[in-house]
Amino acid sequence: MARDSLLLSVQGLSVSYGHINAVKNASLEVARGEIVVLIGANGAGKTTLLETVLGINTPVSGTVTFDGSPVTGVPADRNVRAGICLVPEGRGVFASMSVLDNLLLGAHHNMRNVARHLDRVYEWFPILRTRRDQVARTLSGGERQMLAIGRALMSAPKLIMIDEPSIGLAPIVVNDIFAILTRLNKEGYTILLSEQNANKALRCAHRGYVLETGRVAMSGTAEQLLNDPGVKAAYLGA
Amino acid sequence: MPLPLYYFLSITAVNILLSWALYLPYRVAHLHFITVANMAISGYSAAWLVMSLHVPFGWALLAGFALGALVGWIVALFIGDAPTFAVVIVGFTFIFIVRTVIENLPAVGATMGIFGLPNIGGNPETHRWVIMAILAGMLLLTGFFLHRFDHSRLGRAASAVFVDKDLAASLGVNIKGLGMLVQTVSCTIAGGTGVLYGFIYKSFHLDFFTFALVGIAMTIIFVGGYATPWGTVVLAPILYGVPLLFPPAIQEWRIVIYGGVLVIVLVLKPEGFITRRFVATMESFLSGSRKKRNILTKEEL
Amino acid sequence: MQELIAQVINGLSLGSIYVLLVTGFNLLLLVAMIIHFSYPQVVVFSMYITWLVLRVTGNNLPLGVIAGVASSVLINLLSAPLFQKVMAKREQVDINSTMVLSMGIGMIITDVLSHSFNGGLAIAFPDNLAGDTAIVRVGLISIVSGQIWSLAVGIVSVALFFLLLYRTRPGRAFRAIAEDPNGARLVGIPILRTGLYSYALTGVLGGIIAVLLSMLLGAAYPGLGEQVAHKVLAVSIIAGLGNLAGGLVVGLFLGILEAIVQGYVSGSWSNAIAFVIMLVVILVKPKGLFGTKL
Repeated sequence: MARDSLLLSVQGLSVSYGHINAVKNASLEVARGEIVVLIGANGAGKTTLLETVLGINTPVSGTVTFDGSPVTGVPADRNVRAGICLVPEGRGVFASMSVLDNLLLGAHHNMRNVARHLDRVYEWFPILRTRRDQVARTLSGGERQMLAIGRALMSAPKLIMIDEPSIGLAPIVVNDIFAILTRLNKEGYTILLSEQNANKALRCAHRGYVLETGRVAMSGTAEQLLNDPGVKAAYLGA
Repeated sequence: MPLPLYYFLSITAVNILLSWALYLPYRVAHLHFITVANMAISGYSAAWLVMSLHVPFGWALLAGFALGALVGWIVALFIGDAPTFAVVIVGFTFIFIVRTVIENLPAVGATMGIFGLPNIGGNPETHRWVIMAILAGMLLLTGFFLHRFDHSRLGRAASAVFVDKDLAASLGVNIKGLGMLVQTVSCTIAGGTGVLYGFIYKSFHLDFFTFALVGIAMTIIFVGGYATPWGTVVLAPILYGVPLLFPPAIQEWRIVIYGGVLVIVLVLKPEGFITRRFVATMESFLSGSRKKRNILTKEEL
Repeated sequence: MQELIAQVINGLSLGSIYVLLVTGFNLLLLVAMIIHFSYPQVVVFSMYITWLVLRVTGNNLPLGVIAGVASSVLINLLSAPLFQKVMAKREQVDINSTMVLSMGIGMIITDVLSHSFNGGLAIAFPDNLAGDTAIVRVGLISIVSGQIWSLAVGIVSVALFFLLLYRTRPGRAFRAIAEDPNGARLVGIPILRTGLYSYALTGVLGGIIAVLLSMLLGAAYPGLGEQVAHKVLAVSIIAGLGNLAGGLVVGLFLGILEAIVQGYVSGSWSNAIAFVIMLVVILVKPKGLFGTKL
């Protein structure tokens, strides 16, 4: 991959919680305009990896480079302002606040073009416009996922990271969500997502990495991974 | 016995007992400030019994303990398992209400207080020795009780509740029961202490039972070390005695100094000076040397 | 009936002060993650500073108000690093340590007031602040301008404060942290900095409350801080810790209750009755009437 089209580059990242080594010497790359998937079982280190890229955790060793600048150890709020965002597992919306307030929080650090961004998000997710004064708690699972993605879009991000977008959602809704992600990607958004159940994710992605107990066990194009017998057996169940 | 020494020893004993009365509920994270109200209730009641009904001191003291137990138990029915915060507010509210009631009751001297309580045993000398003896007895009993409690199944349960109440409950600890136990015992101790407090001076006054007393007890516990009962024993005489060495102008600012020391210790040495690890080391050291002596004796045989 | 109206007006003034105090307390609880037991004592200290400045500058009202607000903000900001140091975890309220620390601070403030200002005696605020001239006379009851002012400013302050919380960007950040500090961090809200803002904001609020109290009571004494603190804390428990709307309701209710009781019962008993009622409510429902956020 050409160097200057690399949006995110993670090299030799190791992250620990006390004595637990959650991520061991992991490296991955995301080029502009790609959808990249992180596959792995529960506890494989996907969330830790994403959170470290965002700046929630500080790695023990390794580097994270975003858009050409090193961001290892930079705190999360600075990285969000620089254009990285994370849609956390379980949606991470503020249940007691309204849909609108949740969306406005997405633009918290840059309120300049809020109205325009809001309109765009409503275009993508008309249901959010309908429910904009409703408390987020009253939304369905799929609607909450849309709200979470919409909130991420409000910050006009360069890189959208999503942690397990399909968790807890009905299969039909999961299809909708991945269709949305594909559309977003066609509009130019770079997406890095993690998934346990990788079938649908790999079908809309360009490339993927397999994470096992904190290490990158495999990497390749989406097609390579879909056809790999080991990956098939372990992760492409449904 | 010289008078200053009498006052120093007896007031220090009272401070230790009150702090111990607070130490016990704090084992389950309850700051049971109602103990100061207990001191006032039992103290004034005992004084009234002695002055107005000419009840012998011994019975009045027992009544003080009983009253403390009763109030403590009834209140514990409601707040035995309440959140820390609620227990604190209940305590402060009680203190306020009790003070207001006393302030307005002519029968117990209102704002003037009760003066001129009779000497126990007929003369001042005997009176002082009796008070000191009772205080010493209470110190030994309470200290022994706290020591045994800490090293018992209940003490371990209390530590669990302190760290994580919900987890302790899911492990089968009876939160309400344990809370009621420590609160009732604490109030009983406080009741008796309140009676003795006034009889040290042979008078009772509202100034004895103020919110400042809460502050003093808190400083003793948290600076001395709240994880074991012994920090209190070490710190109470120091905290009370050291200001006495200074000129009265400085002594006036006692409470501010206590507050300052409390804040500094909380920030720099949160567990206090006598930590649990220190006590454990001491204990193993003491029992270790005893074991060595036993082995020698056996070998000698 | 006229009496009742006058008492209710008085009660609303007092009530709005309680609401502001509870809201400040709740804000510190939810955003700075601390229990600030002696927040009202900081307010009373600011009252004393205002009094001092008024004395020294010959009743220069604007200067006095500024001094009061400044001292409240200053004390709050100075105590922030202490609270941060004793907190075990950043994202959770460490009840024990912050509570004891704030009690220590309260101890210091109350005793300093007992010894240094005015020799520990009560202080009285000049007439132009308290407004002793009655501007409305309703039968036997007269309402002084101080009460009207404190009611007006009190209500406006409460309204403004809630507006800030629910309709502005910083307010959104506060509420986000209040609900979910981790989630707030993921959206890029700087937790530490926002926490510090909350110290400053409650400082400003404290200064305003100090001025209001001066207008309403016309006087202050060292023990006032403790008394108000106990009432405010009782209100916050009854309303449910962290429950902003609950605090609004219960605070106003207490104010009106106190005012009405004061009309029928003399001085210290009226306080005691208020405390008894609150005590009963807490004993019956130690976790609060409306449920706690904690």
